[in-house]
Formats: sequence, structure tokens, C-alpha cells
Amino acid sequence: MLVGLTTNGPRPDPFRCGTFQLIALLSNPLLLSNPILRLSSYTHPNHKAVAMANMIMASTKPLVPVCTNSRSPTSKLPVLQISLPKVPTLKLKLPMSKPQMLSLLGGIAPLVLAQPSLASEIEKAALFDFNLTLPIIMVEVLFLMVALDKIWFTPLGKFMDERDAAIREKLSSVKDTSSEVKQLEEKANAVMAAARAEIAAALNAMKKETQAEVEEKIAEGRKKVEAELQEALANLERQKEETIKSLDSQIADLSQEIVKKVLPIA
Amino acid sequence: MNVLLCAINTLKRLYDISAVEVGQHFYWQIGSFQVHAQVLITSWVVIAILLVSAILVIRNLQTIPNFGQNFFEYVLEFIRDVSKTQIGEEYAPWVPFIGTLFLFIFVSNWSGALLPWKIIQLPHGELAAPTNDINTTVALALLTSVAYFYAGLSKKGLAYFSKYIQPTPILLPINILEDFTKPLSLSFRLFGNILADELVVVVLVSLVPLVVPIPVMFLGLFTSGIQALIFATLAAAYIGESMEGHH
Repeated sequence: MLVGLTTNGPRPDPFRCGTFQLIALLSNPLLLSNPILRLSSYTHPNHKAVAMANMIMASTKPLVPVCTNSRSPTSKLPVLQISLPKVPTLKLKLPMSKPQMLSLLGGIAPLVLAQPSLASEIEKAALFDFNLTLPIIMVEVLFLMVALDKIWFTPLGKFMDERDAAIREKLSSVKDTSSEVKQLEEKANAVMAAARAEIAAALNAMKKETQAEVEEKIAEGRKKVEAELQEALANLERQKEETIKSLDSQIADLSQEIVKKVLPIA
Repeated sequence: MNVLLCAINTLKRLYDISAVEVGQHFYWQIGSFQVHAQVLITSWVVIAILLVSAILVIRNLQTIPNFGQNFFEYVLEFIRDVSKTQIGEEYAPWVPFIGTLFLFIFVSNWSGALLPWKIIQLPHGELAAPTNDINTTVALALLTSVAYFYAGLSKKGLAYFSKYIQPTPILLPINILEDFTKPLSLSFRLFGNILADELVVVVLVSLVPLVVPIPVMFLGLFTSGIQALIFATLAAAYIGESMEGHH
């Protein structure tokens, strides 16, 4: 509610005026967005109260130093009872006593005074404004849930689970084949050993056979050789005998000759 | 004294230029109802981001994933882990719900912080994260409420209501109160965090536009991510709690 103010009395202290303006500025958005204030009802301009307030203000020394807005230094004083603004206000009760009303107005005046330039743009600020947006967002989130499930969670989830299962299977199967491999190895070893044993046995048999043959042959050969040897020896003996015999005869002759030669003169 | 007046007037002018538009909405009229168009527009953008990126990545899946597929697999694993930890063994049907909550809130918050919404001038109000509006957060909280009721009722039938007198019947009023405070706290926690972070950043930027807001912006990214995680975890916890224990 814009209240008309006059500036009777001494020139207002600019410092205090400025502070009030500053406080007004800083508290402005809070005031606007304060839901508690919003919840209270707007007042019909209470003409009687306003008129009374004006009279009070006009007659007494202003408790609250007022100063005009520096933006419009040559402006007229704000007119009484400007059009109904949409600023949320506190409810003014008529049965309030004068000093109470005065102090209340004194509190509101600087706040209100700071706003003349913003008066046209101020509207109710709505932080807790519930409307059709709520169910629309619910529907949107549910739609998003279905869509994401179809596009992302289910396909990718299935893919990931399959991949995990495949990997796990491969890991476990790798363990199995290692034991299989061991078994195969053992089998191979056994087979090899058996084969080796077979071969060895066959080899031994063969060896024995051939050895027997060989020994036979050797014995035969030896016999032959021995026989020949005997023959040769016998031959040699005979020859020896013969030579000795011949030699004997020759020796006799020779000795005769020697004797003849040695004892020629004899 | 004059100097002080001048300073105050400059402040006032700055205030006018950088007016924080708290609680100013861009209204659309649908039938006899009003909607906050800025919330709808940004929520459509968030949904579009989620769906388009999902479609692009999930088109051809390979056993050895490339970067995009790996990231999406990581997110899905993360969501599954959260659901499994909170709900227990029968977590599989709830993964889409928890995942959607988490992703919607996370992408909303980060889009509000990272995307240059100010480029688009609305006739009234401004574009920001859709979760800075009470309608969004209460919608999500109510969905969670419905979800955990549905979970309990579908698993236990009408015996679900025995949980109200569970430890002792003296706690009945508290248990009933819990059904109201759960969605209330969920919605207000998210709403307050996101709105307050936006306000702090905007006010700081309007005061000192150069370097000072940057740590606060990082803090905002961090806390908004945490808030998404908290919302999803709590939703999963409530669902798990109402499904637990066949005594």
C-alpha cells in the first residue's frame, strides 16, 4: 500500500535515509518471495486507515526521516492513495492503536518508498506454485522410464549378462580341459611304455636268435679253421720231417765235404 | 554523505539490471489450468538428451566396448549396484525406476548448471534446471511414494499394513507420519539444494562476475550430482524397506 507522505519538518538525515533505502533494497526480494506474506490476503485499500495515517504523518514531526527517491529529484511528493498495487501487504486492522499504527507505517514506509520505480513490475512471486505441471512431469518421468528401459537398460543389460556368462563358461571350461589333457598325457605315456616294452621284448628275442645263429656259424668256422690248422700243422710237421730228413742226408754230405776240406791234408 | 547516496544508487541500479527472478514463471494455459512452461521446456530437453544419447550408443553393441558403450555400461552397473545394495535380491524389476530417477535428476541438475540457458530469452521468467521447481520435485517424490507402496503391497498383500504396528503399536502415529515425511523430505531436499545453488551462483555472478563464482559453480555441480544419487538411493531404500522381511 503506497501511503502518501509529506516532508514537513527538518531536512531528513541522508545517512539514515540511505540506510533505510539499502535495507529496503536488500529485503525486497525476500519480501516478495516470502510465501507467508503471499498467503495473507490482499487488503482493499482501507481509505479510512490511510486517511488517518496521513493525518498523523502530516501533523506530527516525522519519526521516520523520509527522503525523496534520488532518481527523480524534482518529482512531486508521492500522491495519496495511488492505484491498487499487487504488492502483498500485511493486513491492517482498524482497531489498532495509534502508536502501533504509526510504528507499523514507519516500518513499512521505507520499504514501500524504495519501490516506486518497481511498482509496475512487481507481481506475486510464486515459489510454491502447484499447478498442472506436477502431473505432467509425473507422466513425463514414467514415459522416460519405459523408454529408457526399452532402449538402454534391457538391451544393454542382456548383452552384458550374456557376455559375463560366456566369459565365466570359458573360464570354467579351460579348467576342465587341463585335467583332460593330463589324462590324455597319461594315456599316451602308458601306450608308449607298452610299445617300448613290446619292442624291447621283440628285440631281445631277435637278438637271442641271431646270436645263436652267429655262434653256430662261428663254431663252424672255428672248426673249419681248426681242421685246416691241424692240416697245415701236420703238413708243416711232414715238411719239417722231410726237410730234416733231406737235411739229414745233406748234413751227412756236407759234413763229409767239410771234413774233406778241413782235413784235406790229413 | 552525498557519496554514500551515490553508492547506494549504483547498487540499486545494479540490482535492477541483475534482478534475480526468483519465483517468476513463464505460464502457459492448458484448458483451465496453468503450467510452468519453463519447467516443461527444460524437462523436454533433458529427456531428449537422455534418449538420443542412449539410442546412438546402443545401436551396435560389441563384446569389447568402445568409449561410449563403456560409459553407458558403467552407468548401468552403477545403477544396478545401488538398487542391489538397497533392495536386495529381487532388485531387477526396480532398476528402470531407480535408474530413471537418478538419470533424470542428474541430467536436469547438470544441464541447469552447465547449459547456457540464458541465451534463450523467455517473455517472462527464465530457463533453468527443471528440478528447481517445486512441481518437479514433488512429482518425483510422489512417484517414489507410490512405488514403495506398490512394492510392499504387491509383495506382501494386505499384510503390508502390519508394518505400521511393527516394533510396537505405540509407534503407529510415527509410522503413519513417516509416510508423509518421506516424500516431503525427498522433495524439499532436492528442491532446496538446486534452487539455493542456482540463487547463490546468480547472486555471486551479479556481484563479482569474474573469478569468485567458479568455486561455487563447482560446488554446485558436486552437490547436485550428490543430490541425484541421494534421491535414487533413498527411493531404493524405501522400496527395499517395504519389501523386506517375510517374518
